[in-house]
Amino acid sequence: MVDITETLDCLGDVCPYPDVKSKRKVKKMKSGEVLKILVDYPLSAERIPETMTSLGHEVLSSEKEEGESKWTILIKIK
Amino acid sequence: MVDLMVLLSGILVGILFGFVLQRGRFCMNSAFRDIILLKEYKLVKSVILALTTCMIGFGIMGLAGIVSYNPKGFTLYGSIIGGLIFGMGMVLAAGCASGTTYRVGEGMMGSLVALLGLGLGAYMTAAGALSGAKAALQSVPITNADGTSLSVFGDLTSIFGLIIGAVGFALAIYFWVLPVMKEKGNDKFLDFSDLKVKIFNTGWPWYTVGIIIGIVNIIAWPLSAAAGRNYPLGITAGWLGNLKYLVSGDEANLNWLTWMVIGVVLGGLLGSVIGKEFKLRTPKDAKVLLLQFIGGILMGFGAVVGMGCNIGNLLSGIPQFSVGSIVVAGGIVLGCWIMAYIMFMRE
Repeated sequence: MVDITETLDCLGDVCPYPDVKSKRKVKKMKSGEVLKILVDYPLSAERIPETMTSLGHEVLSSEKEEGESKWTILIKIK
Repeated sequence: MVDLMVLLSGILVGILFGFVLQRGRFCMNSAFRDIILLKEYKLVKSVILALTTCMIGFGIMGLAGIVSYNPKGFTLYGSIIGGLIFGMGMVLAAGCASGTTYRVGEGMMGSLVALLGLGLGAYMTAAGALSGAKAALQSVPITNADGTSLSVFGDLTSIFGLIIGAVGFALAIYFWVLPVMKEKGNDKFLDFSDLKVKIFNTGWPWYTVGIIIGIVNIIAWPLSAAAGRNYPLGITAGWLGNLKYLVSGDEANLNWLTWMVIGVVLGGLLGSVIGKEFKLRTPKDAKVLLLQFIGGILMGFGAVVGMGCNIGNLLSGIPQFSVGSIVVAGGIVLGCWIMAYIMFMRE
């Protein structure tokens, strides 16, 4: 189990809000901290991990809840 | 009387289009916006693949005499300003005309609000309080000497379209698609393993989406023409027709396109239910909802003034090399960037 530093709730948000919010959030966080992102918009759920990887952060996990349109993404800040 | 064949043909193409949009997460708003916002180019590459696919298909159908090109008109101020306002509106609305439509099927109530704005804005501009502004903006039409719409290659559009489309398509595959496939360790262009999972359970890769969107538009044109509307896909005019019918009760407003847009909602619903992504949801921040409504109205205004939205002008008009459509498309991209900067990039 990882220690989650902060949680960003993007449920109900449409694209690009989850993308922009998570990008802004990780900028403010310190190296080694873990951000948990909750998102229910498919495009953002697929793109946030890609964006984070390209920014150099580590995607610890990205999981869709069974039978539901809801994803939990864990990012470790570089 | 409602013509059942027109209804069926329109609604089935719409369901196919909506399903592909939903599974492919195809959104032109994201495509253009993310060039500057996230420095992300996948979706815009997908748009370019769709356009080049259309150019090839339209070119072949034009040469074979299956369809006759019907480019949209060009008005000096209308096309520029209509495109710009549409582009700004689509960022506020969090989706272009097609994106907003299929997301209603996904259960996104913010998109429903944007869609109501789109219909209202289009109606006000086409036949209501803003029709004076529309007439003024469209007062300087630029046409050929015989009054027909200006297109880059005139009578030679089909042959030039075919050549440009084929070259563009080949370049896109060579420089963009093949490297990605090599990276994935998948050198088969069509990989039919786990097809069911790929179609229904995950989002589609951007290159598949672009090509399939193009193919849907190619199929759509002759079917739409057979129903008395000689044009490939569009969105805004369909909602405008539905709204006019609902308000006036006059069935003359219903046509292939009005059924098609309803099909897009159903296709979005189908795709999201099968992919287990359907959920009724709304933005937590009420301000977002208000912005989506305003964005919808701006899109409706821009689409009527510019004679088409991102589908009618961009996806269907550019492959016909309509000068008006190309100008509107430029305006849409620029408007999108301006609004994305104002909303998301100023810290």
